[in-house]
Amino acid sequence: MANAVIRAGAPQEAPRRAFIHSDRFQMTAFIAPTCIFLALLTIWPFIYSVYLSLHAVKLTAMKRAVFVGANNYINLLTDPLFLRAMLNTGMLAVTSITCEIVIAFVIAKAFVSLSHLKWVNGLRSLFMLPMMVTPLIVGMIFSYVFNPVLGIANYLLGGVGLGPVPWFGDSTVAMVSILLINIWQWTPFMMLLIMAGLLSIRSDLYEAARVDGAKWHHVLTLLEIPSIKGIVLLGIILRIIDTLRFFDVVYVTTRGGPGDSTMVLTLYAYQQNFQFFQAGVGSAAAVIILIISMVITTFAVRLLRRIENE
Amino acid sequence: MLHTKLIGSISVVAMLGASAALAQDIDWKTQLGDHSGKTLRVMTITDPFIDSIKAVKDGFTKVTGANVEIDGYGYDALHEKELLACSQNDGSYDVMLIDGIWIGEFAEAGCLDPVEEKITENPDLYAWDDFTPAAAGQASWEGQRVCLPVGIYYELMYYRTDLFEQAGRKVPETFEELKEAAAFFTNNKDYPGVYGYAMNNKRGAAAGQQWFEWIYSAGGKPWASNDIGSAEPYKDQTPLFNSQESVDLVQFFRDMVAYGPPGVESFAWDERANAFAAGKLAMINDWSVRAQIANDPKQSQIAGKFKAALMPHKDGGKTITPVGGWVACVNTHGTQKDAAWDYLKWFASKSVHRDFVLAGGPPSRLSAMEDKDIQAKFPWTSVLLEGQKDSWAEVRPRHSVAFQLIDTVGAHVNKAIIGEQSPKDAMDAANADVTKLLQDNGQL
Repeated sequence: MANAVIRAGAPQEAPRRAFIHSDRFQMTAFIAPTCIFLALLTIWPFIYSVYLSLHAVKLTAMKRAVFVGANNYINLLTDPLFLRAMLNTGMLAVTSITCEIVIAFVIAKAFVSLSHLKWVNGLRSLFMLPMMVTPLIVGMIFSYVFNPVLGIANYLLGGVGLGPVPWFGDSTVAMVSILLINIWQWTPFMMLLIMAGLLSIRSDLYEAARVDGAKWHHVLTLLEIPSIKGIVLLGIILRIIDTLRFFDVVYVTTRGGPGDSTMVLTLYAYQQNFQFFQAGVGSAAAVIILIISMVITTFAVRLLRRIENE
Repeated sequence: MLHTKLIGSISVVAMLGASAALAQDIDWKTQLGDHSGKTLRVMTITDPFIDSIKAVKDGFTKVTGANVEIDGYGYDALHEKELLACSQNDGSYDVMLIDGIWIGEFAEAGCLDPVEEKITENPDLYAWDDFTPAAAGQASWEGQRVCLPVGIYYELMYYRTDLFEQAGRKVPETFEELKEAAAFFTNNKDYPGVYGYAMNNKRGAAAGQQWFEWIYSAGGKPWASNDIGSAEPYKDQTPLFNSQESVDLVQFFRDMVAYGPPGVESFAWDERANAFAAGKLAMINDWSVRAQIANDPKQSQIAGKFKAALMPHKDGGKTITPVGGWVACVNTHGTQKDAAWDYLKWFASKSVHRDFVLAGGPPSRLSAMEDKDIQAKFPWTSVLLEGQKDSWAEVRPRHSVAFQLIDTVGAHVNKAIIGEQSPKDAMDAANADVTKLLQDNGQL
């Protein structure tokens, strides 16, 4: 009907109107704002970061940028501090996420087993609190808790006859302290995912396992782990991305020290960009972090798909 | 009791009277413009003196009609916010208090309107010569007076009078005496829970600034042309971080760890000030503004139980009292510059500075340091007056990469302090890194 009107009124308008009413145009029109938004807020800054990373430039004197090619990248990849930051971030990701999964699984199992009790819901909500606190505040809280002279941690240790611990004053202990804080804050997140996975297992499967005489480790390895594998992998991806952005706690408590023992990638990039205003080096560091994130995420998503297909 | 109250009341009335008399010397109505309806925004550090700035700000409103908003930030956040804002031509803040060591960086970013012309127009009111020489140096850059040094600190050593009296010990004057005194108080059953000393050992700015603060008193200097009193301190910036004096100094820092609380390797300004105020340390060196924390009975267990002395020096040498602190500058991109200049003219004047100091601010003028009321209220002021005589404005670098340079030095000094490297290796590495940094940024 509409086409008939177009044909009768203005024959030369017909192709244009047909184009406007086409699915292709309408899809493009609806997607365009989002694409423009993404281009302006995500892709353009990224391109600009890459541009800056190829220059020797200070944020306070942008007009004096000098093209240096890949020098910033070469300098970074040969800078012992940056390499140490990469190593520390990797170590933090591996140890922290491993501990989080193990602890979270145990707690999730306990919550699932006790889910018939009324007070468990309240306890579960309380357990979620750490991950709701801003990481900067977490850093401040633990800088007080682990203060060697006035902190409650050493006070409590003293109460049971143990000597004070230099929580942030010794290279190894400082890394362990950072690890503990990270685990404390993010275990609830992993627990939430694992609990969701465990609750999704049909009760008749447990019943069948029980009837077949399965032991606890059979249930664990043949039923529960395969069932939650996908969701745990999703959690691992999210936590790896999180760890690559891990900054606030280290910034507040150790500033990357003692020595370089707790220097992480984002703190390094932050210092270059916003403390030293070396936009070229800082941007190169940010681009490297982004590439690492993309590689890990792509690999993990493929793995996730493979698990889903299984 | 009544007698004490009466004396107290008389003192307060006398102080206010003296303050009013000084204030009456200047007719502010004729000196300052009418800025009714304007709101001036001042950005500063959240050091203890922020309350003193707030305590006197209404005086400006009374005379000019302009409101003054004071916004405080932590050290790193302030550096980042001020420099980012003004280098992007942001004029939302009219007055910026910056650390004297940032002045080269801010000048390079084109953030500051120099005060030179204003002083020439009204030299009596600005009374530039009344600022301590090192304070005046902190506010100047490349031979020009750029800002006004309103919040200048000097680094002093504070010691617990009660402990020293009980022990019958003299106050240490040299590094060796300091070490002996610190060792005496540490793990001493007569002084349970007390440690001898805590230094600024934390990685980065804390340990870096400490090195610069002590190096002259250790007989060294940070770079080739930076001799005390030099007219051209930045002429030859060849770094001397691995000189024998520097290596010995870092060894001294490392030795002092044994006399601090567990975890002292991660201590910076706040941890040390809080531990001293909690009565856990026999001695400490710190910026003069932080003496307020120890002297405040609400937050200190040692109020009235400590005194100040000059920082120790190497045997046979002399103390060069470190200077630092805050200079007030007009944001070159501000849209209310007339009001901003009037605020600084008023705030930095002798009379208002005196009120500011009496409210707890750090004395930056000689007249304030010599003031009997101020000396009576803050007993360490007389030591400041003595210390400022042997002080040097360029004790820390103030050029455009100073922030990064100090952090770099601090990372290496910290490695020596925690025993990860020998002092010689750490300072060799510091020298190499700083040389590269200066070369990359055209300073060398």
